[in-house]
Amino acid sequence: MPMTIREKAAAAVHAQKAVLPSGLTVLCRTMPGYSTVHAMYATAFGSTTRDFLLDGRPVHLPAGTAHFLEHKMFESEQGDALELFARTGASANAYTSWDSTCYLFSATSRFDENLDILLQMVAHPWFTTGTIAKEQGIIGQEIKMYEDSPDWRLTTASFRCLYRSDPIREDIAGTVESIAQLTPELLYTCTDAFYQPGNMVLSVAGNISLERVLAACRRAGLDRPGHHPAVTLTPFREQGPVPQHSMHFTMPVTRPCFSLAYREPPLAFGDVRRAMILDVVTELVCGGLTDLYRRLYDGGLVNPEFSSDYASTRTACTVFFTGESSQPEQVADMLRAEIARLRREGVDPRLFTLVKNEMYGDLLAMLENVESAANHMQAAFLKGATVEEEIAALAALTPADVDGALQTMLLPEWEAFVRIDPSGQELTPE
Amino acid sequence: MQRNQLAPGIYMTVLDAEKFNRCRITVHLRYPARRQSATDAAVLALVLERGYAGCPDMTALSRRLAGLYGAEMGVDLSSAGSDRILSSDLCGIKPQFALNGEDLAAAYTEIVLGILFDPYLVDGLFDAQAVAIEKETLRRRFAAEFNDKRLYCVQQARRRFYGDSPMGIELNGYLPDLDGVTPHSVKAEYDRILSASVIDVIVQGVDAALVADRVQAALAGCRRSPAPLSAPGAVPAVPVQHFAEKVPGLTQAKLCMFFTRGTTEHLPSIHLLRIAMGLFGGSSTSRLFRNVREKQGLCYYCGASAARATGTMLVDSGVEPGNESAAEQAILRELEDLCARPALDEELEETRRGLLSSIDAVGDSLGGLESWYYGSILRQEPFITPEEGKALTSAVTAAQVQELLQSYHCNICYAVTAEKENAPCQ
Repeated sequence: MPMTIREKAAAAVHAQKAVLPSGLTVLCRTMPGYSTVHAMYATAFGSTTRDFLLDGRPVHLPAGTAHFLEHKMFESEQGDALELFARTGASANAYTSWDSTCYLFSATSRFDENLDILLQMVAHPWFTTGTIAKEQGIIGQEIKMYEDSPDWRLTTASFRCLYRSDPIREDIAGTVESIAQLTPELLYTCTDAFYQPGNMVLSVAGNISLERVLAACRRAGLDRPGHHPAVTLTPFREQGPVPQHSMHFTMPVTRPCFSLAYREPPLAFGDVRRAMILDVVTELVCGGLTDLYRRLYDGGLVNPEFSSDYASTRTACTVFFTGESSQPEQVADMLRAEIARLRREGVDPRLFTLVKNEMYGDLLAMLENVESAANHMQAAFLKGATVEEEIAALAALTPADVDGALQTMLLPEWEAFVRIDPSGQELTPE
Repeated sequence: MQRNQLAPGIYMTVLDAEKFNRCRITVHLRYPARRQSATDAAVLALVLERGYAGCPDMTALSRRLAGLYGAEMGVDLSSAGSDRILSSDLCGIKPQFALNGEDLAAAYTEIVLGILFDPYLVDGLFDAQAVAIEKETLRRRFAAEFNDKRLYCVQQARRRFYGDSPMGIELNGYLPDLDGVTPHSVKAEYDRILSASVIDVIVQGVDAALVADRVQAALAGCRRSPAPLSAPGAVPAVPVQHFAEKVPGLTQAKLCMFFTRGTTEHLPSIHLLRIAMGLFGGSSTSRLFRNVREKQGLCYYCGASAARATGTMLVDSGVEPGNESAAEQAILRELEDLCARPALDEELEETRRGLLSSIDAVGDSLGGLESWYYGSILRQEPFITPEEGKALTSAVTAAQVQELLQSYHCNICYAVTAEKENAPCQ
């Protein structure tokens, strides 16, 4: 794409940024004419953060701690923050991923009040043994719900195959046993370490100005430097070969489900170019524009839901191809053959340009939606990037870049194949 | 804004899209559902999405859309009481943002209208290979329903609830009918839909005159006799029936309850219905969420929703196996309580604030606006703006909510539950 286009795109996705003396980063995309404001307050603390030093003291967290904490942050001695949001008419929620936890609201009025609730809620954690015990039951139900999801089971099984000890092996919500180990002290340790402004980002989009968001931060005392404990994440890098190249198990499903996954080197913080390559490559292997997808679909080998994606954390990066098929091994073989062909022959430049155009359109479309805009800004920030940098990286990408990357990615030695068969069906011997 | 008639049974509505960088064209064909050709209609929707006469190849069409700056096109089949709606929509960047001066409006219009009105035919019938491929896609979709137990439970309950009523005609059709689907039967269903449907074209951010011209040209030679929209219908109230389906290896049980008002008299306003559902089980401040999930810990999720035209209310929840009966009783207790006495002012206002906020947000997306106005068309009501909708929502009283909830009766309670421990991983 020529420079003028990049400039147009950068203007279209522009967001304002401020870093407060407390260390908090504030991102704001003002969208005049919109009614909604969507705010996301996120910390770089997710399910894979399990070991760290807090002021030199080693801390080890049970699996599921970040997610448990997310549930508990809505409670305070004064009551439930969800009820406070309800009183303003805002819709609030939260989620935990492998490498972040995010608290959010959408509102069309009383923005200042809602920002105050959000910032206060996260700044003043309150945990007791009694409220923790109550939450263990609710999260136990959530864990069970995910255990019934074939898609989720494929993802976690793929991680277990590909990694011997990376924390991504454990479910985001942990297990009933692991969350039973949680205590108020341990949860406070986590908020001390990771819910400090310097580890967080406040991302807001909609009909609101940066000044108004900064005023809310001032009211919450986030404009002042504070004393924060020193946190050092324990260095970790998965070593050695893939521990298990395949896994089969059964579930109550009607057709086999599969995942072909590849372990890749973790993305360096801020490596936007490689993130874009991962997106482009998966589209070029089997996206809707490819001949392979057409053969798979018309051959009845995959459903329209067949998809590819990648998951990236500080210590792990995994590319997935997942779907349902009566012939999972055949689909996997076709994917392997296509990857090998692309590695050997290079990508089709015409298709490459179409994929790039499509991704460019997707990025612009995403930023037209208030929720997507706030979400994309905070997600990019926690990966060390901005949306403008993503668009620039996409624009600069060439077929040669992808051809080069393919020489060292999606390699058979870093592959794992997971298959779920319907319960009652004989397992295929290895 | 106004819904203008272009020809008998063909309407166009133009919505403001000034603040958006993208534009959208949506075409809805609303027609009476028919049991014997429901499977043909389901295959038809899949075949239409593959391409049209001007671009018959599915991959070529995907690439064409990618070339139009990643424009998104979809074909959808949905329900409205005893009617079904076959829709095609296309959303892409506005023509003025075309980097090389391409005529995007013409391209978008050609594609979205071509999909519905200029299908790719071979000797007057749908392409046999495409029909065969999409029959298999549909066959896999039937099989896949069981994989999502939450959805599966709702579908099973729905089947028991509607029985043979036209309202219960399956959107995806019927597996036993699939083998009988042919290029000829799909074409016959297409012709029926094209002839009988009320067509609504909704234009946002594209030259409406251009689209109107193309719609009239596309349908100029078409003999049409649009059917009247189906009247609201309701399932009669009967004593509650319980069903339990055991699924070995399931970890969390699912419980789905279907309620009916049993009558089409005095249809509630959509504003009243939304408040009632929000209060009972449609939000995180609802009775079901607060009491059944948070206080009693009986469900991980527990929500309520309703369909106005059919007088139906649905509650679905995920529960600990063995707790289905306790959850059912707890859900009914919450409903009984809201029927016995008006909701507290505070909770009513919280629900109302949430709804007012969601109405405010309608104007923040092309899709939100399109749904708002097409919703009015489906209900055969005059257009009201979101601002007017807020005024009507603000006028709903606790007594009206109480009276509405009193009119629901539980007909079906369906549980999908566990039988034994999960199979271990190998």
